Amino acid sequence: MAAAPGHSHDGVADGGNMRPIPPVIAPGHTFESVTEKIGGIVLTKRTQIGWLVGFAIGFALLMLMNMTIGQLLFVGIGVFGNNNPVGWAFPIINFVWWIGIGHAGTLISAILLLFRQQWRTSINRFAEAMTLFAVACAAMFPLLHTGRPWLAAYWLFPYPNSMGLWPQFRSPLIWDVFAVSTYFTVSLLFWYTGLVPDMATLRDRAKSKAGKVIYGMLSLGWRGSARHWHRYEMAYLLLAGISTPLVLSVHTVVSFDFAVSVVPGWHATIFPPYFVAGAVYSGFAMVMTLAIPLRKFYGLEDFITMRHIHNMTKIMLVTGMIVAYGYANEVFFSWYSANMYEGYMMHNRMTGPYAVFYWSLIAINACMIQLFWFRSVRDNVGLLFVLSLLVNVGMWLERFIIIVTSLHRDFLPSSWDMYQPTRWDFAMFAGTIGLFLSLFFLFIRFLPALAIFEMRTIVPEAKLQPEQHG
Amino acid sequence: MTSDTTYAPPEDLDARRAMALKVGAVGLVACAFGYGFAPEHFFRSWLIAYLLFLGIALGSMGLLMVQHLSGGAWGVFRRVFEASSRTLPLMAVLFLPIAVGMTSLYPWSHPELVQNDAVLTHKAPYLNSVFFMVRALFYFVGWTTIAWTLSRWSRLQDEGDMSVNIKLQYLSGGGIVFYTLTATFASVDWLMSLNPHWYSTLFGFLFVGGQGLSALAFTIIVSTFLVRRAPMASLFKPSHFHDLGKLSLAFVMLWAYFNFSQFLLIYAANLLEEIPYFIARITHGWQYLAIFLVVFHFAVPFSLLLSRDNKRMPHRLVWVALAILVVRYIDLVMLVSPEFDAAGVNLHMEAGEHEGGFYLHWLDLAAPLAVGGLWAWMFFTQLAQRPLLAFRDPYLRESLETTGGH
Repeated sequence: MAAAPGHSHDGVADGGNMRPIPPVIAPGHTFESVTEKIGGIVLTKRTQIGWLVGFAIGFALLMLMNMTIGQLLFVGIGVFGNNNPVGWAFPIINFVWWIGIGHAGTLISAILLLFRQQWRTSINRFAEAMTLFAVACAAMFPLLHTGRPWLAAYWLFPYPNSMGLWPQFRSPLIWDVFAVSTYFTVSLLFWYTGLVPDMATLRDRAKSKAGKVIYGMLSLGWRGSARHWHRYEMAYLLLAGISTPLVLSVHTVVSFDFAVSVVPGWHATIFPPYFVAGAVYSGFAMVMTLAIPLRKFYGLEDFITMRHIHNMTKIMLVTGMIVAYGYANEVFFSWYSANMYEGYMMHNRMTGPYAVFYWSLIAINACMIQLFWFRSVRDNVGLLFVLSLLVNVGMWLERFIIIVTSLHRDFLPSSWDMYQPTRWDFAMFAGTIGLFLSLFFLFIRFLPALAIFEMRTIVPEAKLQPEQHG
Repeated sequence: MTSDTTYAPPEDLDARRAMALKVGAVGLVACAFGYGFAPEHFFRSWLIAYLLFLGIALGSMGLLMVQHLSGGAWGVFRRVFEASSRTLPLMAVLFLPIAVGMTSLYPWSHPELVQNDAVLTHKAPYLNSVFFMVRALFYFVGWTTIAWTLSRWSRLQDEGDMSVNIKLQYLSGGGIVFYTLTATFASVDWLMSLNPHWYSTLFGFLFVGGQGLSALAFTIIVSTFLVRRAPMASLFKPSHFHDLGKLSLAFVMLWAYFNFSQFLLIYAANLLEEIPYFIARITHGWQYLAIFLVVFHFAVPFSLLLSRDNKRMPHRLVWVALAILVVRYIDLVMLVSPEFDAAGVNLHMEAGEHEGGFYLHWLDLAAPLAVGGLWAWMFFTQLAQRPLLAFRDPYLRESLETTGGH
């Protein structure tokens, strides 16, 4: 088969029978049409009914969270199902789940930028927003799990207080406080820096007085001069460099929370890379879960093209395979270790009271993802939406299995017990989903969900240069 | 593209090939002496040297498959990766001394030891001489089949058969899964089971990551040789070396990340079945080698590879690559030698207390010459058999468009 006519910059193979690679932006767009399309979503006066419904659902769940917090603070931490030996169940499961989801944002914005992957351009903005909101949701759990979050300042931070209380610096939990807060700060700066030129665009195009003033303040006096752009590019690249280690470090430290202990099923040296891969995997699943409806309802198929869908699916396949490798590895070494506790841990996972969750997890994260090998699956957007939701479920189950099965039956059979989440556990989890949805809906209504100025750089007009040099 | 489409190897490649064979022969003679006088050390040293060059061959195969799947400008080095991966049949032959020396290397190959040790008895269904050989055979058949099939389709591509392009991708997808899994088990068989009580779930990643780094360093060295001569002088651009440099930097960081994670987790837990591995490596003189590795396998190459110029200029990058190959070898020494005492006897082989301590044996220099010389001879032979550029590579235009002007 001949190559697509008009060899484009984005690597359509020439001369081969390689299947054509979809473009990163549909043909026919100009600077003006890109700005109009993305800016229009924000600047329109008319709020769509679909948006209102979605936001209402999110907001209702957010209110559920507030109620749960009220209940928690009024009654105490006993409203959750945590018990002894499972002292650490839904709060940490959900914390890890949310933190993991956040990882795709940083990977897209930092690593793909450094590797000059142009397809990151139209998904980076909302993936970064997703990261921030996911980290905010994650942070709720350890904070509220302390039971008295107003005291968390000296429990979590090395705050020199009159009681001479210091956190245990040898505990990975305290490393986590620093890892997560660093991560949140850098992600926020990265996201906001990228937003500044777009804020200026919105300021210039806003019709209402309030819009002009608010976007004007947020754009920090951006005029788009060559000097502004020069500094902007420099700052953005530096932030990308700073963020790159964070993609690895945050989930590595999260994995240390477990692996530094000597609990069977937690103490495994493979945990750091396996957790990082799982985080990226679940993060891309969430980006997919958000991107597919977003492009559909706002008609953004020209910008979030099949190229993005394909690439995200491939990243999910690679990282999902690493996760599946982790499962296989755990099974082999639980036997190879010749350690009876490790052996029993795996036996209990496979045949114990929570076996159904273990096998669901294997069905999703080891078996189902093999579908991603097939081009026909990668082309089927509706199916991918369902699969990406299932991946989110699978990754939640993974944390449930790791945390609950390891704790509920450890060394001494006399201290074994079952874990049962309460309705407040579920309410809190649903509540953070509400927080996430509310923030995300507000984001797509009031801020440009795709980076307008970066999208302008990939329209064909931007490629019209004088004679190529070099 | 130039009118010359043969991309024939440079004239002086033959001289290098002959030289490699001579070095290999000298090394072999030295090893034969070593085998006569210190058979225990011979097997240990051979294992270390063997794993270094096997790592280059397998790592190249892995990177080749990644390249088929991902594309990217570094595809101009495809023929180097292919030639490295076609050395695998030779590596299967060079595995024989390890098979012969099994009882000298691996405690679990002694039935009387296994009987008296509950852990070894538990592991016997996996760690036994017959299954060990069956697995090795399986690995080599699998790896060789993949490498030669990729290579055969690559030749068909040169001949204009474009139907192989998609097949190369399919095989690479499955091949990477196969490679990762088999390399993990190979790392258990050949390295981890030197201390048959010890285990670490991260070990397979460490092994695979090390192979990737060795392969990249070797590819940089060969490509620097090629870029100084026709026909590749006009084709390999600074940006291509930049990519290899960036990948090397990533693998250097991965190596440090994996090793640090493994060390921290085992050190902090301090469990009886895990900690002896590190006690052996941070005491009795080995700690200096450990510090050496932290500095020269991580800090120094990391700092050097941060520099853009060091990555783009082959004459600078090649020195970093040479140094990386040397520390890769020392890293393998660190993985193997502390499990043996200065007489070359596996510490887990004999009952009773006997302490290891830092040592080097002259065979540790002879064995890499033998394996490396033969391996390099095979590599040059393979490299000379094909055009140096996969000129019908579907990604080639993209690769060559990436000019170094920016």
